[in-house]
Amino acid sequence: MEPDPMHVLIIDDSRAMRSILRRIVTDLGFTAVEAANGQEALDHLEAGLRPELCTIDWNMPVMDGYTFVSRVRSTPEWRDITLMMVTTESEHGQIVKALAAGAHEYVIKPFTPDAIADKFELLGVRAGVVA
Amino acid sequence: MVPPDPDGGVVTISQASFDYVSALVRRETSMLYDPGKEYLVEARLLPLAREAGAADVDAYIGRLSTDLAERRKAIDALTINETSWFRDNAPYQTFTEHMLPAMLAERTHVRHLNIWSAACSSGQEAYSLAMLLDQHLPAGWGASILATDVSTAMLERVQAGRYGQVEMNRGMPATQLVKYFTRVGSEWEVSDDLKKMVRTQHLNLAAPFPPLPTFDIVFLRNVLIYFDMDTKRDILRRVRDVVAPDGFLLLGSSETTLDMETHWTREPLGRVQTHRPVPTTAGLRMPAAMTGA
Amino acid sequence: MSTLTEPTLSDLLAILDEVWGSFLSSPEPLLPASDDGMNHGTSAAVTITGDWRGIVVVETSRPVAEEVTRRMLMLDAVTPDDVADAMGELVNIVGGQVKSLTGGQSTLSLPIVASGHLVQPSEARELCRADLVWIGEPVRVTVLSVRTP
Repeated sequence: MEPDPMHVLIIDDSRAMRSILRRIVTDLGFTAVEAANGQEALDHLEAGLRPELCTIDWNMPVMDGYTFVSRVRSTPEWRDITLMMVTTESEHGQIVKALAAGAHEYVIKPFTPDAIADKFELLGVRAGVVA
Repeated sequence: MVPPDPDGGVVTISQASFDYVSALVRRETSMLYDPGKEYLVEARLLPLAREAGAADVDAYIGRLSTDLAERRKAIDALTINETSWFRDNAPYQTFTEHMLPAMLAERTHVRHLNIWSAACSSGQEAYSLAMLLDQHLPAGWGASILATDVSTAMLERVQAGRYGQVEMNRGMPATQLVKYFTRVGSEWEVSDDLKKMVRTQHLNLAAPFPPLPTFDIVFLRNVLIYFDMDTKRDILRRVRDVVAPDGFLLLGSSETTLDMETHWTREPLGRVQTHRPVPTTAGLRMPAAMTGA
Repeated sequence: MSTLTEPTLSDLLAILDEVWGSFLSSPEPLLPASDDGMNHGTSAAVTITGDWRGIVVVETSRPVAEEVTRRMLMLDAVTPDDVADAMGELVNIVGGQVKSLTGGQSTLSLPIVASGHLVQPSEARELCRADLVWIGEPVRVTVLSVRTP
């Protein structure tokens, strides 16, 4: 099943961060769906949401972002979803770890809206167009 | 009256301050800060003003006529070329998909490429090219990238190869970040392998060039806009003289070689316009590969 | 055990410039403060525990906290909850940068945001402190290290 080209799933336990990212992805033409942790995000996917991309914080209660990435990448029906970490974790080893777990991209906080737009461009993720 | 900042902020420097700075930069580097660029002068000098303990940018500019050290710093800050990793992307794609294969076919005798990153600023262009070369040069081949700039402070930044977090978020896939960079304090530093490919040299484009090798590929992006028409033509003429007959010149996305068809011909490759040197009429010029130079 | 480095004032200033410039997209710079005119309106703190233990605190006046919130969330009117969320995120990001500077393995706590001045535990030692002015109001950011018991 093709991913829904119009949604971005924003996964972060900070309401402020979700709000910032929601505006950025909305400006890029997407519809934002929010989750406060990895488990809530999985619930969305299990309910049938197929976002084009997920932005994923690392440190969250209940289920962290790293675990969420591993779970998504090991589930065949979710393999088309692009996964982008957006986190304060900025050590070299952490980035390697996230990429090894299957994250496609990595943005370090603080970031500018242009940085997110840039990464979407690099990934070929565009609203209304299946990558 | 100083025009407002196009982004809506308020510009506080006086007309006299702007005129002084504009004349200073033009005298020292031939680069132009035309009316309309006041907000840029303010933005670029503010950190220096802060560091020097000046009350504001106007006060800081007031010191420049008598403080040589600050004047040098101010000129450096004002002649920075805004840059980023793999800027505009398309030129780098053309580099990888068209220019590099062409050069690999033509330079089998020396198996070495000479590349010039002119007006290199803090080195993101030079190191972007180094990353691509690392990925695409076959075994047994080498490449030298000459990174030049009029600012010695910028050249030191290229040598250090260190970039802030915010710069690292733009233009570069995360896989390349981890492959070519390590954390040093709050910054990211480029690997020694890439540094070995890049050599720096002080060079003012508007002045006669020091002795230079013959280049296979020249990146001269987004800097000609700072010069007047005559200087632009002069630079393009002198650059032509150091590019191999089968070499390439790349300008910024909105730049052209003007009316210089006697020196450069346009050749679209991929999604960008490249420029090929028109041979000089004064005898044959052999490429470096054949002279063994 | 990897080498641990303690953040310096110049590290802290670099981090703050980046956060204010990119995250708040603030054209107004953070300027050095000429006096200790701190009006303890809002404090936000985050602790770092692990190989290195410390606390990062951001203190501002109420008007600054509200303006930070307005800019971060791009809202005209903000509620106390909004301010708590925005200031919490701000100190989270600054704290995250400080944490990654120190090296080693450590984790960031959830942020705490309070009205007034957060009194630090007696075993906390001030490492560096940035006293700044933004849009004419004081902003103070302090990094403290906590002695290992």
